[in-house]
Amino acid sequence: MAAAAELTLLEKSLGLSKGNKYSAQGERQIPVLQTNNGPSLTGLTTIAAHLVKQANKEYLLGNTAEEKAIVQQWLEYRVTQVDGHTNKEDIHILLKDLNSYLEDKVYLTGYNFTLADILLYYGLHRFIVDLTVQEKEKYLNVSRWFCHIQHYPGIRQHLSSVVFIKNRLYTNSH
Amino acid sequence: MGFGDLKSLPGLQVLNDYLADKSYIEGYVPSQADVAVFEAVSGPPPADLCHALRWYNHIKSYEKEKASLPGVKKALGKYGPANVEDTTGSGVADSKDDDDIDLFGSDDEEESEEAKRLREERLAQYESKKAKKPALVAKSSILLDVKPWDDETDMAKLEECVRSIQADGLVWGSSKLVPVGYGIKKLQIQCVVEDDKVGTDMLEEQITAFEDYVQSMDVAAFNKI
Repeated sequence: MAAAAELTLLEKSLGLSKGNKYSAQGERQIPVLQTNNGPSLTGLTTIAAHLVKQANKEYLLGNTAEEKAIVQQWLEYRVTQVDGHTNKEDIHILLKDLNSYLEDKVYLTGYNFTLADILLYYGLHRFIVDLTVQEKEKYLNVSRWFCHIQHYPGIRQHLSSVVFIKNRLYTNSH
Repeated sequence: MGFGDLKSLPGLQVLNDYLADKSYIEGYVPSQADVAVFEAVSGPPPADLCHALRWYNHIKSYEKEKASLPGVKKALGKYGPANVEDTTGSGVADSKDDDDIDLFGSDDEEESEEAKRLREERLAQYESKKAKKPALVAKSSILLDVKPWDDETDMAKLEECVRSIQADGLVWGSSKLVPVGYGIKKLQIQCVVEDDKVGTDMLEEQITAFEDYVQSMDVAAFNKI
């Protein structure tokens, strides 16, 4: 998903009505937002954080100092790890790590829904769509988290809903 | 439904398995369902039941807003996996009843008699209704392939022979000739049978009995109606 399209999705899920125009910069198509009376903002997570503040939903950036740090960590992860890799093997390593991380968590930060969940959901969507039933079951914790976020009101929008089978089929695999 | 005894390890194990692919007991937001189950668990589940523990800690973080969570609390046995026997229901209710002080004993008695009468009436009504309804007859639609000996076999005669088989609960349907190769055609014929009265074995026996015409026969399709 192009970064600009993703930011438009984010705007909608935050309830921002004014549609911003984004331009793309450089070879990797880094999104740029020209603000009315200030400097232009560059980069997906920078603009996303800005949008959250604009929407007065700062709780999405974390409540405590630690939570803020964790959100920041996952936003970085999203840009460097998820967007940086496109080949299948890398994605599977990434999903495996994420799977063990999410084992004892409901959201990325633990108990609270944050911007990190939204952006990681958008970032992983194109990979999760292509997973087989067996893989989805192998990354059970990721699947649970993903399914949870896609049902969070206002997040999924026009993205396709990924189907997760309720009964486990491959009981021996884990 | 239900998790069994949530104070014991087997019950927690069921809860753990149930929560492996879910964040909440019901749906995608914390609700009274979570509160109900949370209250039934005596303390944090052991660390090896990681899914149950994750859920427990998550619901614990809602402690203060517990009452404001959406949904209506149901009996504990209404939650959880469908394939587990509910053991929490009746036993608990019974012991509660015993403790109650029966202030209006006689009234209660009368009412229950009234209820009993009503129930019996309904039961009788239901029985009579059921009796009137004709019993459902299990039927099947069968497609048979009947193969002749060679291209000189008279297919019209063959079909006549097949259709001459009569039995209670057997109705012949449409048929057609399907070319097999080298000018040989096989007869494909549809029939509807009542499962209790006619079997494919009996059909096969009778059809292959016309050995002047029939080389062999197969059941091409068998569908319950």
